[in-house]
Amino acid sequence: PDNALEAQLRDDPDVSSAVAAIRALLGFLKQDRGETIQGLRNSLRDAIDTLSRVDSSVAVSSGGELFLRFISLTSLEYSDYSKCKEIMIERGEIFLRKVSLSRNKIAKLCHPFIRDGARILTHAYSRVVLRVLEAAVESKKRFSVYVTESQPDQAGQKMAKALRKLNIPVTVILDAAVGYIMEKVDLVLVGAEGVVESGGIINKIGSNQIAVCAKAQNKPFYVVAESFKFVRLFPLNQQDVPDRFKYKADTLKTGQNLTEEHPWIDYTSPSLITLLFTDLGVLTPSAVSDELIKLYL
Amino acid sequence: MDLIRTEGQRMTAAQPSETTVGNMVRRVLKVIREEYGRLHGRSEESDQQESLHKLLTSGGLSEDFRTPYPSLRANVIEAINEMLIELEGTTDNIAMQALEHIHSNEVIMTIGYSRTVEAFLKEAARKRKFQVIVAECAPFCQGHEMAVRLSKENIETTVMSDAAIFAVMSRVNKVIIGTKTILANGALIAVSGTHTLALAAKHHSTPLIVCAPMFKLSPQFPNEEDSFHKFVSPQEVLPFTEGEILAKINVHCPVFDYVPPELITLFISNIGGNAPSYIYRLMSELYHPDDYEL
Repeated sequence: PDNALEAQLRDDPDVSSAVAAIRALLGFLKQDRGETIQGLRNSLRDAIDTLSRVDSSVAVSSGGELFLRFISLTSLEYSDYSKCKEIMIERGEIFLRKVSLSRNKIAKLCHPFIRDGARILTHAYSRVVLRVLEAAVESKKRFSVYVTESQPDQAGQKMAKALRKLNIPVTVILDAAVGYIMEKVDLVLVGAEGVVESGGIINKIGSNQIAVCAKAQNKPFYVVAESFKFVRLFPLNQQDVPDRFKYKADTLKTGQNLTEEHPWIDYTSPSLITLLFTDLGVLTPSAVSDELIKLYL
Repeated sequence: MDLIRTEGQRMTAAQPSETTVGNMVRRVLKVIREEYGRLHGRSEESDQQESLHKLLTSGGLSEDFRTPYPSLRANVIEAINEMLIELEGTTDNIAMQALEHIHSNEVIMTIGYSRTVEAFLKEAARKRKFQVIVAECAPFCQGHEMAVRLSKENIETTVMSDAAIFAVMSRVNKVIIGTKTILANGALIAVSGTHTLALAAKHHSTPLIVCAPMFKLSPQFPNEEDSFHKFVSPQEVLPFTEGEILAKINVHCPVFDYVPPELITLFISNIGGNAPSYIYRLMSELYHPDDYEL
């Protein structure tokens, strides 16, 4: 399964790692030879563990969790195992199809919030934000974008290149220049790797800083995320975010002293977020926990 | 449903600032969906809204409302009649909650003229003694009319200009206002001057209570700051008799103000008191997501 996942990620860089994980798990489900639900759940759990060892991001974890939940819900309805498995596979395909449409849904919801002449600040590389800005361009809006460089992997440069292809005027700024540039921007738009139960988000390191600056200057801070990124975590501060999300899988494997390492993500609290755009609709941060409860009831 | 939708679009296009028209159309559409669902044999709960749960368990795409049912029309008409009765009773419902929120010897501040707030205060005045300060809300000065009506009920009323709001705020215990519309994120579109009042109240940590019936709740988000505005003739601000300077200046007279949700403490509506962060929930009970864009 980890080979399958790596193959998926290499073939289709446009797809989120969570979707690739779910696809890999679905493939795994199809090949599974077991005869009981319990056996299936156990082997799936092992598969998810293997996947997180390859790519320990929040998205893979939430995708895996969702898939497991999906299996449990389906298995409750049908007692006959083989029939159950058929239904699962069928529903899995439908789920994947729906999920691939979610980015377009979000773009449709979000682009009216970008006014003509707006100056947008975004952080690192997010495919959802790219899609939203694409939709805004299609609806004939003129705007300019500032992207943070987003060290240590310079993801901002990748974003800037993609935006230039869409003919959007873009400026790459230093991560340290966020406080300086905040007075010039009209709104901040970021993606999320995970949305936690409190309504806060887990995103590339530097997002929290941007949110705090935006709050201080009264600029709206919008988050775009698909619904499969909702995670069952409730961090109260930065330390509460589990280590396995903060650092890449390879670093964790070598077992070095983690205090010397730089984390890759941080947690932004819900009080700093104005609105979340998801394929379930436009939500205020307080609505997120409601959605999660509805799922995991 | 398409018929109602087209009629609704025509009506909202005629007067875009009257959002209640659109709201009622959406309520009727929701009623129709519910009645259809009930006849179709589904359970009433949860099937309406999008959710992660639905994403995982549903077998396919949603239904298409094609099947005809003879009793559907009668059911819908009955439900609409119930809604009418509810609408007529909203002001009384809100006024009934007055005693819980207003205590004796309090100083209440309000702005402009709102029938809901008038009923609210009158109901409380029957059992409690308190004072009211009304900001006159220039340039139409509807605050004057409010003050006259309140003093007829023997409530001690004071009228003051909008400029004095901040100065007097330290002596005020509560601010109670009405509004034109409530937006989906809990923000308000209210008469011009309300934002100032809200900021002053926040600064002095005075609770800001909004009395508004549920039909004012509109599922729109404030995406374009100016699309909600209604401007009227600036004659009230600067009369045409001042002809000389008119050529050199721009005069605006906006009717409405946007008040962000962080400044509001409580919404009192006909279904009870709610915090602004809970508005999204009330919205999902009243309207169906597909109807947000009429």
